[in-house]
Amino acid sequence: MVEIKNLKKRYGERTVLDIPGLRFKDGETVALAGANGSGKTTLLKILAGVTKASGGSFNVPERVLYMPQNSYAFRGDALRNITISGADRSKALELLEKLELTHLAAEKAKSLSGGELQRLSLCRVLSKKCELLILDEPTSACDTKGAGLVIRAIKDYQNNCGCTVIMSTHSPLLALNAADRLIILNGGKIESDGAPQKTLAEPGTQWAKSFAAGWKI
Amino acid sequence: MESFRQAFELLFPPDRELLQIIGVTLRMSFFSTLISCLTGLPLGALIGSESFRGKSLIKKLIHTLMGLPPVVAGLIVYSLFTHYGPFGRLNMLFTVRVMVVAQVMLITPVVIGLTASFVESTSKPVIETARGLGFSGFKTARLCIGEGRSSLFSVVLNAFGRSIAEVGAVSIVGGNIQWKTRVMTTAIMLETNKGKFSFALALGIILLIIAFAVNALASFIVKENADG
Repeated sequence: MVEIKNLKKRYGERTVLDIPGLRFKDGETVALAGANGSGKTTLLKILAGVTKASGGSFNVPERVLYMPQNSYAFRGDALRNITISGADRSKALELLEKLELTHLAAEKAKSLSGGELQRLSLCRVLSKKCELLILDEPTSACDTKGAGLVIRAIKDYQNNCGCTVIMSTHSPLLALNAADRLIILNGGKIESDGAPQKTLAEPGTQWAKSFAAGWKI
Repeated sequence: MESFRQAFELLFPPDRELLQIIGVTLRMSFFSTLISCLTGLPLGALIGSESFRGKSLIKKLIHTLMGLPPVVAGLIVYSLFTHYGPFGRLNMLFTVRVMVVAQVMLITPVVIGLTASFVESTSKPVIETARGLGFSGFKTARLCIGEGRSSLFSVVLNAFGRSIAEVGAVSIVGGNIQWKTRVMTTAIMLETNKGKFSFALALGIILLIIAFAVNALASFIVKENADG
């Protein structure tokens, strides 16, 4: 279980994250939503160990994997970009097939489009086993078909390893189709927390209501 | 023009002593650059990619050492390797090996400092991705070097350039001994002191040609191996 207590992040005088308490159950898939600057990425980076918190505490499992918002292409071809994680070639090819990137296996990763690179980046992360998977906007560069492939791959991975998944998103499609729980953040604070459909239907605060209105599909 | 004529005459046919001086210069510059880069690149990448207590102090220290006057480095190495110094028994003073030691002392902080700055400023996505995959600090540093090798190549060339052009430290610890420790820069200094300005300038022109040839060759090798 992932547990957060009084977690704070400040940049000078500005507090960008302030969460008194939050728990993520084992095997849960949680979507974090909110406007730009609401603290989604900061929270994910702290949990992933990429950024240090200014205060409070949290515990995460031993094996954590994190996919940053901006996908990075290492030198070499797409296949190497997966095996760099330590995965073998057959596992890498299997993932490429799942994300419909097999035809790009021998292409230089730096030549891929944003959406292709994002799917490749997901392949790289999913090639390893973990107890907590953290994804920062995993479908932000994908078209509808690509987003569908990403959602299916995340679900399959989660079904196989039973890990907890926490992901930030601006996509109602991802939150409603892949998550068990939706947390809406605003100004670094939690505005609403619950099952995705319910959270969008009964957002709680006035701000969450206006945010949810923009998400109605 | 007189200097260019003399430079040409020294090279065609090649003067025996000049060839020996060029050999010592290249040997000294190559080994000092190699040792400095083997230690400085990984250290610089680690400092640039990792957060740890005392990092700021270490960076300040490195930046200070980057400006270490060559004469001071020469004096330190001289006092270490002189007959009564801690390494006096090694009998290395006035040899090419001790000149390499002095050069390494001068160049390594430059390599560390430039590499750390490069990694800090441009390798953030590499570091984030590597940490996200649970890679160790060492593996992350290695990836940073691999990903930024074209840029880090300029760090290596910078180190080589400093080594080949340095005169203060090598003249103190090497002694500018004919047929033994004389390098291009100390030879230029000697000829200048003798009042043979145009001959000294001719040596300077040859030094520039060597530096240009080494840079061009290294750039070609890197370009050939670049695979994007």
